[in-house]
Amino acid sequence: MEWGDFSNLQLDAVREVGNIGTGNAATALSQLLGRAVDMGVPEADLIPIYELAGRYGSPETPVCAVLIRAEGDFPCNLIFVIDEGAGQELANLLIAMDISTLDPELQIQMRDSALGEVGNIILGAFLNAISMLTGYVMPASVPAVAHDMLGSVMDIVASIFGVIGDTALLVKTSLQVKDVECEVNGNVIMVPDPGSLETLLQKLGV
Amino acid sequence: MAQTIHVGMADLVAVKVPSLLVTLGLGSCIGVVIYDPRNKVAGMAHIMLPDSRDAGAVLKPGKFADTAVPRLLQELSALGALPSNLQAKIAGGAQMFNIPGKDSGLLAVGARNIEATKRWLAHFNVPLVAEDTGGNKGRSIEFNVPLWNLSVKVLGVGVKEL
Repeated sequence: MEWGDFSNLQLDAVREVGNIGTGNAATALSQLLGRAVDMGVPEADLIPIYELAGRYGSPETPVCAVLIRAEGDFPCNLIFVIDEGAGQELANLLIAMDISTLDPELQIQMRDSALGEVGNIILGAFLNAISMLTGYVMPASVPAVAHDMLGSVMDIVASIFGVIGDTALLVKTSLQVKDVECEVNGNVIMVPDPGSLETLLQKLGV
Repeated sequence: MAQTIHVGMADLVAVKVPSLLVTLGLGSCIGVVIYDPRNKVAGMAHIMLPDSRDAGAVLKPGKFADTAVPRLLQELSALGALPSNLQAKIAGGAQMFNIPGKDSGLLAVGARNIEATKRWLAHFNVPLVAEDTGGNKGRSIEFNVPLWNLSVKVLGVGVKEL
């Protein structure tokens, strides 16, 4: 199969994987925070990799990104991306105590640890959904947290897809935590390793 | 008034006029500038991957280190640059996500990009006069023609002039 040459049926199947994954992730996040979490309709798009940098916002927007890597039957990277401000808000929700009197370095570590855990739970739930759907075994890494420009995060996504082609198939879903003063919106991006999406589609029978 | 030219992913631009060559949000990619200060010619490429031999067709020569460097030299020379005057500056090649205890494979492409870009610059005898590479933070870069300074901006750290 030529990379980038996916049928509508196949795109629908990938979208459905995103849908189930996000549903699972929203439930997990909701249980973790004890709050309602809404999810958006997942998008599965074929995008020229050269347009990725500006696809989801200005390339210089500060974001927090959590990445986990899954190996095994469906090797891929999953990335949870959230605006830096919203990320800090989410970390505070999870820490649920006033840490402003602590050493600043310690505060950063605690927030990063909380964000890593949020990412781990969201992305782990997403992976579990794929696993249940396909029967695949996909051991996941521990989460890696980065605070950086949106463009730089997408730059890495583009490089991974760029290895074998000029098109990215991105599944993007949004999660929204309800009933907090600051709205918290995050996106999950699934980045399959070169060639592994074909395996998934075969397994799904499309 | 200098014009601002955005050099997108895998793009390659060569100019002869006062300009600001800009690339926003480099992650594992490399921004390479090659310039001839005497003839006032400069070019920038946004390299994504080290080696075009791993890929099928090369639609954009700016995408790979081994195709971007020679093409950039070609375009500079078409604008009147002389090989003996050329100098290069590079920035980028970060690894933003580090997973402890794992061979990060695809995530470590930054280091391979740095190595390949330097190797191809050396291959064509273009001296590398300044660099800001590696690390774990993304970069935005601006190259001022004809001041020949490369400013590198890192989120939360500040701006560095090369």
